[in-house]
Amino acid sequence: MSFTSAAFLLFLAVSAILYYALPARFRWTALLGASFAFYILGGGFTVLWLCAAVFSTWLAGLALGKLNREAAGRKERDKTAGGDPGKDDGKTIVRKKKRVVFLVLLFNFGILWFLKYGTFLGPLLSALSGGRLRADALLLPLGISFYIFQSAGYVIDCYRNKIEPEKNPLRYALFVSFFPQMVQGPIGRYDALAPQLLRGNPFSAENLRLGIGLMLWGWLKKLVIADRAGVVVEKVFSEYHNFGGAVIAVGVFFYCVQLYCDFSGGIEIARGTAKLFGVDLAENFRRPIFARSLAEYWRRWHITLGQWMRDYVFYPLALSQPFGKLGRACRKRFGNRVGKILPTSLATFIVYLLIGIWHGGSFRFIAYGFWNGAIITFSLLMEEKYRAWAQKCRIDRDSVPWRVWQTVRTCGIVFLGRYITRAPRFLAALWMLSRLIVDPRFGELADGTLLTLGLPGADLAVVGIGVVVLLAAESAMERGVVIREWLAERHWAVQWAAILAPLLILLLFGIMRGDYIAAEFIYQQY
Amino acid sequence: MKEKLIDLLSDTCPGIDFEKETALIDDGLLESLDIVAIVTEIMDAFDVVITVDDLLPENFNSVDAMLALIEQRRK
Repeated sequence: MSFTSAAFLLFLAVSAILYYALPARFRWTALLGASFAFYILGGGFTVLWLCAAVFSTWLAGLALGKLNREAAGRKERDKTAGGDPGKDDGKTIVRKKKRVVFLVLLFNFGILWFLKYGTFLGPLLSALSGGRLRADALLLPLGISFYIFQSAGYVIDCYRNKIEPEKNPLRYALFVSFFPQMVQGPIGRYDALAPQLLRGNPFSAENLRLGIGLMLWGWLKKLVIADRAGVVVEKVFSEYHNFGGAVIAVGVFFYCVQLYCDFSGGIEIARGTAKLFGVDLAENFRRPIFARSLAEYWRRWHITLGQWMRDYVFYPLALSQPFGKLGRACRKRFGNRVGKILPTSLATFIVYLLIGIWHGGSFRFIAYGFWNGAIITFSLLMEEKYRAWAQKCRIDRDSVPWRVWQTVRTCGIVFLGRYITRAPRFLAALWMLSRLIVDPRFGELADGTLLTLGLPGADLAVVGIGVVVLLAAESAMERGVVIREWLAERHWAVQWAAILAPLLILLLFGIMRGDYIAAEFIYQQY
Repeated sequence: MKEKLIDLLSDTCPGIDFEKETALIDDGLLESLDIVAIVTEIMDAFDVVITVDDLLPENFNSVDAMLALIEQRRK
């Protein structure tokens, strides 16, 4: 069931009525029922994979909780025994905990790997079974990345004794399966999300207003801007041989617009939906377009994945014993500064490579991971030199022109990277990039070619105006303006216009539109 | 010990007033790369073992919090 369908609105209304009709202590059961209904309606029998993830991580949580209590009891006993830590110093318990985490992560990420990269097995199984199994039997289940990341985070938090494991499997199942985040995240943390889901929130008109506002904004981004931009993207990337470098660059620009509006719009619909039930989902975007470096860009884009990678991959890697040894060896060999940075850079590099691989099994995603990892690593190594050069050239690194330059430069790097992710193959991306220099054909920007890319002039104008409005709103937010508060201080007519105008635009340009635009959320496939 | 820690922090992450700041993580003054650099430096300078489990915002929000962590790890 798509977030942009009428069926979803009906589903949402029924779920909300059921939720608030129940006594507060049973409200979580309405959310659990709605979440599984949403999943089964959208994913059919693939709900079994979800159940496997829920059950295995719930069991692991219980086992880790038991081992944590054993470790605490042992510590207490050692204390009363006069500080003698005993024979094995509690190492057996740590080993057992590690084994539990390893097995459950192997099981879940193994399933993810198998379903994500083993798609070639579908037709093979179908042939072997004489057609009894359908070739698409191994299609990627809805939201599998997101719920596996979320439940894996829960297991590691239990391992680190940061949270108390949930004893009730159904209450835990709600944390993993909460339907607004099932399509494309955000990836929630147990300590922040579970209490909100389980406490039975009271009805609030304010939550309703905020939720609908967020959803409207998300639908505008998705239906009015992203899906239109997607038409141009599809045309340019499927027939890239027919265009010069300049038109291909326009296609990439539209892809940047499409990707941002599609993903952040979808997240806003998810956050708005959750808000209707009084639940605040984690922020996933913080105006990435204003980032001053690539590293900062990734801290503002898909924030919850970045934080997941930081806490569960980057830190454990960077602070592990082998990395410590590597750091000491590098310091001896290359001096203090480089020695300090190299192991951190290597861990950064591995994280970006993993993010690249997560996006898809194709070589171009691995290349994309390299692209990001290499630039960020290079910036880290060069940071001191940059600072010295800026001082020499008397550049104030905090001045407005310098900040604008940094932002434009970052956008350029991201723009070039998008060639790699959207092109059908890595070599095709390189070919398209080469056109920018070898055969740009700037004349195609003015000779009407842009009007042959699948979108009529009026729709191109809608995308253009949409981007300008979006930039204006995000620029205001970047300067610290809270649009909600800003509106509250305006005349009532302005406040009403702020609600009715997006609704009208959505109806006119988002819903009553030609049949040629119909697209699923891009991140749904990950 | 506090002075030694402040010197170490100022060398590792110049431009931050470590004596005054009390929300280094919450205010986003220290990023993940800074944290790793700081932890590595602290482990070397104070001969303590800090693990990934200690990487909680409350342990790195201020110099005093870091000192408390070092003290705890020395025991």
